[in-house]
Amino acid sequence: MTDPLAIFPLGLTFEAFTDIDFWTSVGIFAGIYTIFALGLQLNVGFTGIQNFGQAGFMAIGAYSMAILTAEEGMNFWLSLPISILITIAFGLIVGLPSLRLRADYFAIATIAFAEAIRLIALNARDLTNGAQGIFGFDDSWDSISESIEDFIIDLGWTDVPGLFPLFLVTWGIAVLMMFSLTRVQGTPWGRVLRAVREDEDAARALGKNAFSYKLQSLAIAASIGAVAGWLLAIQLAFVVPDEFQPIVTFIGYVVLVLGGLANYWGVAVGAIILWTVLEGLRFLELPISETKIAALRFIIVGLVLIGLMAFRPQGVFGKREEMVLGD
Amino acid sequence: MEAGTLGPGQERTMGERFAHALNRFSEAPYVVKAGIGIFLLDLVLVLADRRPDSVGEWVLLLAIFAATVAAMVPLERRPAATAAVVLANVVAILILYHGLHEVSQRGINGLSLGAIYALGAVGLTLVYGILKLVNFAHGDFLTFGAYMAYLVNVTWELPLVFGLAFAVLTTALLGIGLEKVMWGPMRGRGAGMLQLLLMAIGLAFVIRYGIQFVWGTELRQLNVNRTDTVNFLDLRVGRTQLIVIIVGFVTLIATGLMLRMTLLGKRMRALSDDLDLAETSGIDTSRVILYTWLFAAGLAGLAGVFAGAITQLQPELGFELLLPIFAAVVLGGIGNAFGALTAGIVLGVVIEWSTLIVAPGLKLAVGFVILIIVLIIRPEGIFGHARTV
Amino acid sequence: MTEAPIFEAEGIEKSFGGIRAVNGATMDVKRGSITALIGPNGAGKTTFFNLITGFYRPDRGRARFDGREVQGRPPYVIARFGMVRTFQITKALAAMPVIDNMMLAAPDQPGESLRNVLFRPLAWRKREQEVHEQAIELLDVFNLTRLADHYAGTLSGGQRKLLELARALMAQPRFLLLDEPMAGINPTLGRRLLDHMQRLRAEDGVTFLFIEHDMEVVMNHSDRVIVMAEGRVIAEGEPQAVRSDRAVIDAYLGGAGHGGIE
Repeated sequence: MTDPLAIFPLGLTFEAFTDIDFWTSVGIFAGIYTIFALGLQLNVGFTGIQNFGQAGFMAIGAYSMAILTAEEGMNFWLSLPISILITIAFGLIVGLPSLRLRADYFAIATIAFAEAIRLIALNARDLTNGAQGIFGFDDSWDSISESIEDFIIDLGWTDVPGLFPLFLVTWGIAVLMMFSLTRVQGTPWGRVLRAVREDEDAARALGKNAFSYKLQSLAIAASIGAVAGWLLAIQLAFVVPDEFQPIVTFIGYVVLVLGGLANYWGVAVGAIILWTVLEGLRFLELPISETKIAALRFIIVGLVLIGLMAFRPQGVFGKREEMVLGD
Repeated sequence: MEAGTLGPGQERTMGERFAHALNRFSEAPYVVKAGIGIFLLDLVLVLADRRPDSVGEWVLLLAIFAATVAAMVPLERRPAATAAVVLANVVAILILYHGLHEVSQRGINGLSLGAIYALGAVGLTLVYGILKLVNFAHGDFLTFGAYMAYLVNVTWELPLVFGLAFAVLTTALLGIGLEKVMWGPMRGRGAGMLQLLLMAIGLAFVIRYGIQFVWGTELRQLNVNRTDTVNFLDLRVGRTQLIVIIVGFVTLIATGLMLRMTLLGKRMRALSDDLDLAETSGIDTSRVILYTWLFAAGLAGLAGVFAGAITQLQPELGFELLLPIFAAVVLGGIGNAFGALTAGIVLGVVIEWSTLIVAPGLKLAVGFVILIIVLIIRPEGIFGHARTV
Repeated sequence: MTEAPIFEAEGIEKSFGGIRAVNGATMDVKRGSITALIGPNGAGKTTFFNLITGFYRPDRGRARFDGREVQGRPPYVIARFGMVRTFQITKALAAMPVIDNMMLAAPDQPGESLRNVLFRPLAWRKREQEVHEQAIELLDVFNLTRLADHYAGTLSGGQRKLLELARALMAQPRFLLLDEPMAGINPTLGRRLLDHMQRLRAEDGVTFLFIEHDMEVVMNHSDRVIVMAEGRVIAEGEPQAVRSDRAVIDAYLGGAGHGGIE
């Protein structure tokens, strides 16, 4: 799989540009990546830990929900909190030994963890059904989705896109998360996190258990990743290992720096910009093949990332004073 | 999970208790740690494979275990020797279960992979050590090299030797060019580690999808002999694979000699140890940095051609090799070229050996698990020297 | 009146790669004293600080603060005991406003626990109010009030030094360890700082141990002096007595090769 963002069949015609179904779907992906990158923002922007394993946590959240529901027959709604707990447990297992490492070692250790998870998901066929993936975990969601749809129809909008309920729920969760994370960031707890980001030793000398805060930050980010994992699973209606490649984390970082560091609302802006540009590019009438257009999209993403890091490392909406990259 | 507001003497959280227990363990006598570690390793190996089914096998296993622990005792604080003993232990168990022939056969298969890892890792570690750049685009240098060889070898229909030379040359030029337009200026501005890392990820995207733009996603093959095999001592090795092993090892030895013997090599290693110190001692750092890119990218190009020759070309060829190469860099101790070289070869062989026990699809996961374990036990790597705090 | 010392260290040792940085340092710090820790460069003073505040783990030796063992404990626990340190190279939290730097240091803030933040959102607001007032008061003392909302990274070197000291005081220490507090700040501010130390000792009974190179400050403002050389304590006592101690003079002449105590 060379284009993990290829969420739609290629070769959409220009008519799709005004198609509300298409843009609803794009909106859902922007929402999922917003949620995904909120976890990165908590880690990178507010705690100073460079988590490159977020795709792994997303995978654990999605897989544990899907396995519990589709294979163990657990109630869908019960599987959600349990999958969160499982992901937090993994966050702690990863964090306990590796959060003591230097920042660059931590980055490599977490990306290795995420890849190990993906390879295990690909090979542990009894549990994960390998590359075929898991289906049939979303019946409960479908009935909820239909009630939401009926409700909207009752309000007078008759041609509701089928994915619109998921769009609402995804962005509802995203906004709720941005709001609560911003609130929590303003508490003394959030202040300690920022102190740890600035200088761990200074925080420790003032009586703060820096390690515990980093662990909390990672565990929360992991659980946020799990939520993004559920939504991705529901959107696709299946869970396969290929959806959790390291590139997903990289794209999360692009969203993060586009929106700016140390700013939760910026993450949503970053995700919306990225997805609008990526999907809007489909409608350029270029005389080249679709593979080339797909490649072109990523070349642009890469150039944007290089340009941002070179000329605006605090991101589009980040504060220069709170810039955490340059130094 | 409880934040740190409890007063002194009050209860500790689970996490803290666990961390405390880990600390306690890390202070235990060396032999105890080594003994427990090897015991667990043996247990995993044996349980993952099959249980010993005769008294003779049990006795042999215990003897291997005891010999390993005994060999560890005089090796305290010599991690490379320790790793060698542990490795010997693992090999002994594998031979016991699968026979010498099978272990040697997979070992040979691992040598070609190991040569590729080592060629990639030497450059990556020098760049990492000298420029403090965690170059996530290094894997895509390999891909670039492979496609350059494809251009010459398949599109222009010239012998692969020319393709190889062209690949090494163009990849080296790519490395130097990027240093001139990107890394040099960014260093001048005092860019931070994460900033450079993300920039490297952006660059990786540009190279990888630039290749995809030109050549598409379909699998492509270099024009090499894929069927002939060479037999010796009852072992079989593909002709191309053998060439990769021989040329790879010759290049690695030459690189090692260059780093050890020549003034340039010594300067590279000095810089890799401490850029500021080297600068004050009057080394022309910008020149050495350019040569470092020349070597790092050139070797990456070569490794890419090798990888393309024994497998197939696709735009993610190099990226898929990047993490094991990183593993070799960390195992060897960041900035330590000899360490990366050795660790790369060993890792290639060990990963192949692991297919004796786990599904082949999991062999890379084994590499990552080894990486994580080593990071936890000894972050400075097996060949790295412990830095003072 | 013989009170138990507030801090005792016994035979503290630490080696780095075969070099003994601290080699059996033993010392007492009297309760309520202002004690200077002096010694030639490389004597192991800063390493000693790092060892007794938990930043390094001693190879050997014991340290007790107010009856409690501190060696081997993590720094944050030691700080919560009331044994707070500053750093030789200032550690201002650059991307945080000065006021946040200050408020961070306050102990007993229930709002630093995630559980309280999530489930008792009002519990910490009152404490936050108190902390804010204290912070402003202290900033006043150090002439930093007008900078309260500036990012700490924009402060001058001297201002950062003051901020770090004020921040350490916010932690309500009973025993304050200062690593070269006067270095890099102008004499007027330095005097203010010393006056403040005297006042804190008189009013709150805070004990001070500070590393200092300026002999005039040491002689005039400390009531005890401990001298380290080559990783050990070679003398301790009243400033005047230490000044004429033969071993001390030798250490300075031998260690630094010039200068000495004048």
